[in-house]
Amino acid sequence: MSPAPRDRGVFIGMMGLEDGARVDFARLRAERRAKVFSGMAAHDLDALMLGGVGNVKYVSGARQLGRSGVLPFAPVAVVVRETERVHLLSTWDEGVPPEIGRDDLYRMSWNPANLAADLAKIPGLRDARRVGTDGLTPMFASLIPERVTKADLVDAGPMLTAARRTKTPDEILCVEVASAIAEAALSAMKGALAPGITDRELLAVYHERIASLGAPMPPSEDVCTVTPSSVTLAPGALYAGYEAGLARTRTADSELVSRCEGAMDALVAACHPGNTGADLYRAWEATGNGDPGLPLAHGLGLGAEPPLIGLGRGRDAAIEEGMVLSVQSWVASEGIGGCLQRDTVLVESGGPRLLTRYGRL
Amino acid sequence: MRRERFERLQRQLEAQGIDGLVLLGSSSVGYATGAAAPAQDGDRAALFRQVAVVVKGDSAPHLYTPFADGVPAELPEDHLHGPLFPDLDDGIDAFAKELTEHFGSRARVGVDDQTHAMLRGLPGFEWVDVSDVVGAAKLTKTPDEIACIRNAQRLNELAMTDALAALRPGVRQIDLSAVFLRRVFELGASANGIDPIWQVMAPTRELGPWTLHGDLAYPTVTTDRFLREGDVIWVDSGITWQGYASDYGRTWTTGVSPNAKQQAHFRRWRTVVDAALDVLKPGVSALELGRTAIEANDGVRPWIEHFYLAHGVGTDSAEMPLIGTDLGEGFDERLIMQPGMVLVLEPVIWEDGYAGYRSEDIVAVTDTSWVKLSGSTYEPYGVEV
Repeated sequence: MSPAPRDRGVFIGMMGLEDGARVDFARLRAERRAKVFSGMAAHDLDALMLGGVGNVKYVSGARQLGRSGVLPFAPVAVVVRETERVHLLSTWDEGVPPEIGRDDLYRMSWNPANLAADLAKIPGLRDARRVGTDGLTPMFASLIPERVTKADLVDAGPMLTAARRTKTPDEILCVEVASAIAEAALSAMKGALAPGITDRELLAVYHERIASLGAPMPPSEDVCTVTPSSVTLAPGALYAGYEAGLARTRTADSELVSRCEGAMDALVAACHPGNTGADLYRAWEATGNGDPGLPLAHGLGLGAEPPLIGLGRGRDAAIEEGMVLSVQSWVASEGIGGCLQRDTVLVESGGPRLLTRYGRL
Repeated sequence: MRRERFERLQRQLEAQGIDGLVLLGSSSVGYATGAAAPAQDGDRAALFRQVAVVVKGDSAPHLYTPFADGVPAELPEDHLHGPLFPDLDDGIDAFAKELTEHFGSRARVGVDDQTHAMLRGLPGFEWVDVSDVVGAAKLTKTPDEIACIRNAQRLNELAMTDALAALRPGVRQIDLSAVFLRRVFELGASANGIDPIWQVMAPTRELGPWTLHGDLAYPTVTTDRFLREGDVIWVDSGITWQGYASDYGRTWTTGVSPNAKQQAHFRRWRTVVDAALDVLKPGVSALELGRTAIEANDGVRPWIEHFYLAHGVGTDSAEMPLIGTDLGEGFDERLIMQPGMVLVLEPVIWEDGYAGYRSEDIVAVTDTSWVKLSGSTYEPYGVEV
C-alpha cells in the first residue's frame, strides 16, 4: 500500500482489495446513472424499458446471471426520469446494488400478464409520454399500451449509445482488468500449445483460466482457430461486464505475420480523436491488403458495442476521446492461410493507447 | 433432424396461416437452420447475430450468417447469405431488400425480436409473434433431438464428477466452475450456455437472500465465495451439444457426508419425483402431475414460487412444457402430455432450519410411458453409510 500510488497496476483478488487498487464501483455506477438521467432529459425520454444485457447492466449495475446467446426483447430494467429510480426484474436482492431498493424490484414471471401488472405498478411509468426501449416484439408492442402505459414507444438507442460510447476512468480500469485476464488466458493457451492438442482442448484451457480468475463467462468461445499451417488464439474476458480481448497467430510464414502486424499498426494509428471510420478504411487500403471480410474495428464496453467499422459499414462513425475499440488485422495468403491480430485500444486525447499487451505467439 | 424440424415449422406456418418467419434469437435460428455459431455473450451475440428467414412452402431456410464454418452442408447455395446487422441502421436497407424478395407487400410474417432499426427500415408487413409457430414446433422432440439432449446431458454429468471430486472446504465457487468447464470442453461440449451455479443454501429462508415472495432465492450468481465445511450447495449447469441444452441439477455437501436429516430430504425428493413419474404418460395433464407431486409432499407445493415442478428442454434451456408456473391452473389443465415431450423434473424439498434438497431428473415421454435421459446417481446422497 502507498498513500498515492503512482503505478496502480492491475489487481484482482483480495490483496488488491486491501490496496484499494480496484475500481470504485459505487462511483462507477453513480457516474453511469448521471449520464443516463441527463441523457433521458436531453432526448426527452420519460422512461426506459430495457432488455439488452449491456443496457441492463449499464443502468442497474446488477450482477446478472451470465448466459450465452441473445434473447428476444423483454423489459428487464425500467428507468423513470421523474422519480430518478431504476427498477429491476429480480426476485431477490443478492447482486443488486444498494441504490436500487427492494421496492424497486419486480418479480420474475412466466405469465406476460403478471409481468405487465408489475410494470404497471412502477411509479411514474403509466403517465409517461415517451418511453425508450432497446427493442420490441409483436407481443410487447400490444401488451405495453394495453396494460402498462400509453406512452409512445421510441428508440432508446441514440441516448444509450451516446452515454455508453465514451468511458469514465473507472470503466477504463475495468477494461484494463479484463485485458489482463485475457492476456493470462492467452499465456495459458500458449503454454498448452503442442502437437496433438485439439481446438476443443485449447478452449478447455481458456475456460479454466478465465473462470479461476473470476471471469467465467467469456465474451465469445471463438477463441481458437487451427489450420494445417497456423494457429490463431483469440481470448477475451469480461470483468464486471466490461470486455477486452486480443488475438495472435502462429504460422510458419513470418512474412505474413509481419504484414499483419504492419497493417495492425496502421489501423491503430488511425484511432485518433476527430477521425472517422473512413480513416480506418483508408489506413487499411494504404497497406495494400485486400478487403479482409471481417470488421476492422468495433466498440467495446459492456460487451461489443457500436460502432461497427468494416464490412462496408461505419465509414461515418466518429472516433472520440474515451472510446474503447477492438481493432483487428486479418491478412491471408493464397495457399498458406491467414494471420489475425486483435487488440483492445483506448482512444486518448493524444492518440491511441493499447490496453492489451502481448508479443508474438 | 434438421429436415424434420424444418418440416414441423412448415406445417405450423400452413396451419396458422402465416407466410413466413424472420428469426433473430440464437436458439430459434439454431432450430430453424441447424447453423452453428460460437457461444457469445448477449450483446456480442446481438451485434454479430445470425438471421434466419423461413418462407412458407420453401424447401430450406435462408441463413444470413457471419459464421461460414457453421453452415449445414445441405443448405442450398442460394439460401446462404452474408451477415445482416439488424441492430444497426447502417445497412438495414439490405435487410429490407432481402425480405421484399421473400415476401409480398401484404404478407403476414412472424418475427421473434424487432430492433428499432428493423421497425424503421423494414417493409410494413403484418408482423405477428412467432411464439405460437416456433413453440408448437418445438413442443415435442424427434428421436434425434432426444438423442442430442441425452448426449449433452451425459457430457455435463461426466464433467460434474470431476467438479464434485474437487469440492472440499476452501475451494471457491469459481474454482469449481474452472474444473467443470475445462473438463466439459475436453469431453466435447459444443458450447456453455450458462454460468454454472454453486449456490450455498442458508439453513433457513430468513438467513438466505431477501426475496419479493418470501420463498427461496435461486439461482444466485457464482462469485469467488469460499465454500466451507458443511455448506449445502445446489448445483446447476447447462452446456449444449449440437445446439441442444443439458440441465444438470444436484445437491452437494462440502467436506462432510450428508447427515440423516439431509438423506431424509433426498428420499423425500425421490418420493415426489417417483410419484410424478408413476402417473406420467401421454394424455395426463400438467395439472395432474403438479397435484400428484404436491400430494406426495404431504400437501406442500414442492417447488419454489417463481419456478415450476418441471420444464421442457431443447434448443432452449427452459421451454415448454412448463408445469406449475404462474401461467396458472387453467393453463396446466390444458397442457396435455404427448409422446416426444421432454420434462426436467426439479422439485425442491425444504425444511426451514435445515436447508433442503434439489436435483433434476430428465425424462422423455414415450408412446406409453417415459424414458430417463439423465443419470441415476445422486452423489454424495443416496448411499447409506
